[in-house]
Amino acid sequence: MSNPPVQPPPLPPASPPPSPEQTLRRLFLTLFLRGRGARGLKKEKAPKSVGSKLATTLVLYALFGCLALTFLGQPLFALSAYLHAMTLMFVGMFVASSSGEVLFNKEEADILMHRPVTPRSLLWAKIGVLVQVSLWLACAFNLAGIIAGSLMRDGGVMFVVAHLFSTVLLALFCTGSVVLVYQLCLRWFGRERLDALMTTAQVVMAIGMVMAGQLVPQLMVRLRGQLAISPETWWVWALPPAWFAGFDIAFMGRSSGIAWALAATGVVATALVLWTAFGRLANDYGAGLQRLNEMSGPPERPRAKRRWLDRLSQMPPLSWWLKDSVSRATFVLVAAYLVRDRDVKLRVYPGLAPMLIMPLIFLVRGTKGDAGSFGAAFSGTYIGLVPLLGISLLQYSQQWQAADVFRTAPLPGPAPLNRGLRRAVLLLLTVPVMLLYATLTWVASGSFSHLALLLPGVIAMPLCLIGPCLNGTAIPFSQPADEAKSAGRGLHMILFLVAAAALTGISIWAWSGGWFVPFLVGETVAVAALYLVFRAAAGRAKWSPMD
Amino acid sequence: MISLHQLTKRFGSQTAVDSLSFEIPGGQIVGFLGPNGAGKSTTLKMLTGMIEPTDGTATICGLDLRRDTLEVKRKIGFVPESGAVFESLTGLEYLEMVAALYAIPSESARERIRQFIAFFDLSFETLTDKLLGAYSKGMRRKVVITAALLHNPPVVFFDEPLDGLDANAAVGFKTLIQTLAREGKTIVYSSHILDVVERVCDRVIIIDKGRMLVDGKPDELVASHQSGTLERLFTQLTGGSELERRAEDFAKTFRS
Repeated sequence: MSNPPVQPPPLPPASPPPSPEQTLRRLFLTLFLRGRGARGLKKEKAPKSVGSKLATTLVLYALFGCLALTFLGQPLFALSAYLHAMTLMFVGMFVASSSGEVLFNKEEADILMHRPVTPRSLLWAKIGVLVQVSLWLACAFNLAGIIAGSLMRDGGVMFVVAHLFSTVLLALFCTGSVVLVYQLCLRWFGRERLDALMTTAQVVMAIGMVMAGQLVPQLMVRLRGQLAISPETWWVWALPPAWFAGFDIAFMGRSSGIAWALAATGVVATALVLWTAFGRLANDYGAGLQRLNEMSGPPERPRAKRRWLDRLSQMPPLSWWLKDSVSRATFVLVAAYLVRDRDVKLRVYPGLAPMLIMPLIFLVRGTKGDAGSFGAAFSGTYIGLVPLLGISLLQYSQQWQAADVFRTAPLPGPAPLNRGLRRAVLLLLTVPVMLLYATLTWVASGSFSHLALLLPGVIAMPLCLIGPCLNGTAIPFSQPADEAKSAGRGLHMILFLVAAAALTGISIWAWSGGWFVPFLVGETVAVAALYLVFRAAAGRAKWSPMD
Repeated sequence: MISLHQLTKRFGSQTAVDSLSFEIPGGQIVGFLGPNGAGKSTTLKMLTGMIEPTDGTATICGLDLRRDTLEVKRKIGFVPESGAVFESLTGLEYLEMVAALYAIPSESARERIRQFIAFFDLSFETLTDKLLGAYSKGMRRKVVITAALLHNPPVVFFDEPLDGLDANAAVGFKTLIQTLAREGKTIVYSSHILDVVERVCDRVIIIDKGRMLVDGKPDELVASHQSGTLERLFTQLTGGSELERRAEDFAKTFRS
């Protein structure tokens, strides 16, 4: 700086200045597409291209939308209702998961709140981006469905126009509803409780969506490809997708006055939601931003509530199980994040939701006979995915740099950390899922005998827990959260599923062949031997290089 | 330029800023000091329109903070302590975004950005090609300072501006704010690095528990309290004089 003035090369030619509103919209769109934090181990490789990321997402949505082609033989109303239901689900999930971050970002206050922009223009810019991206996603997802609809016997070219219009309405309805929920929560509960409330809502919603996504194909099989819904069915009035499907049918002039009534319900509901969310409650947004800015941290909790984890880990039987201090501290750390950290909760619980679906599918299909035995046995081995996924997902956190404290501590390697992580995953994630599986299997089969078929999976569990810790990388919260999305878990999952299927096959063979008990004894011995070898290897693991 | 009258901020039952009143004329550099939790950042956030005062009034450049909030925001620049930036923008994208929010014509904005690049010795390629998330802390701070000064505001608030800057950049920055003050800008400078404050500021305001303790020229305050240095005066006023004894007690615990 004390050097003579440097003459930098000329900057590229500037375009005319955009208005502050345009600037904000462009800013939020860019931030949304690139992600807020470009931190991470690979800083220089953070995505700069808005277009390529968006294009990939849209292509994926368009590919997924091709499932609508399976409706080619069904009535147009069923196709339209399916498209709107799935659009509502995807767009709803997208808006619900993005709204908290987009609408109330704490860091943003220091950057924007002292600049000459009003809370209303901030809100409009953010809403504009949410609606814009929702529409892109909705259009990409509906592309195949629109083509299918235009080719159907009771469809036609007019379906394209009608469905595009109703999809826009649906996206507005969906975005408005989510924003309205946020605004109402803010008004009724305050920002302090909003975070916790919305995190819970998002987790529940994401789990619901994931499970619904797994169950719908099963239900379709059971319904033998026929969705028996029409505008005349009384209960369709309770389903928003039916309102917008009614719009399609009414617009094409193919139905009675009921379709018009459904369409009118959709239009009025959308108008009402938009007016309330963006008109009446917009002033609350400014107040919400102010409150966010005033908060220096999460509200203080009563001391007793904060310490329960620590106390629990120091009481028998946990204190016997977590003898060394490092394992115990890691256990408490993992448990605390599973209970308190929004980012971890949003990654782990929805990530594990598909695991819960297996017994539910068997409930739908029934568990009598050989198929039922296979289902129960496969459910048992399938539980092994919970620790595999849990240990993998718990390596990521937004506070990943804090994990440096493990490396600066006098530990020869990550073994005690792995041990604490494994035990937390076993007790807090795996055991509850195991109990749920057992209950569902018992309820579905109506007898205790099928529960024995869960045992081969349960016996193999220690291997599933120690497997991810063999190379010493399973250190809790030590990787940037952004990298969780790109972490390649596919191969591990495939290998696991192959092994699970093999174990299930042998279990069923042993069950039907009458040598199930000797098989369990043999499996226990083999697992114990392998576990001892693996444990010794995990204990010798050294710190992986920091790159 | 800046006038506070009984400015108060309460968070529930806790009073963060308690009836603060002072005036700062144009061209003055004022050190705004206080221990952690004294209410400095809350005061700065109120003066920059980020949070609303519970009570009292404040005017900046003759504009009422509550009534003319947007106009006030056009007149001020602010370097927050957090140094927060949108990390997924490049430095140039970020600065152009800020310029657009103040409706600075693109050509003028580019020219000012060029000047700041030269002043801060920033690499042109870094500014155009790298995302802010990949910048060092010091480089990010330079961008934040540039963003605060880009619209040529008559009043500038700095909250720990030297945090992360290397020695050369810090020296240059101190010269910069003295030059800005000579040109008539009002500078409010909040920092814990008291020797810098002592050298740079024309006037010092020390607050604690939301209330003003002293307000005056650094040398006069030091002389009137017979404290020798601003640092001693600060510890004397804010209850830090016991720190040495407490540090000794703390160190003793390691001996046993």
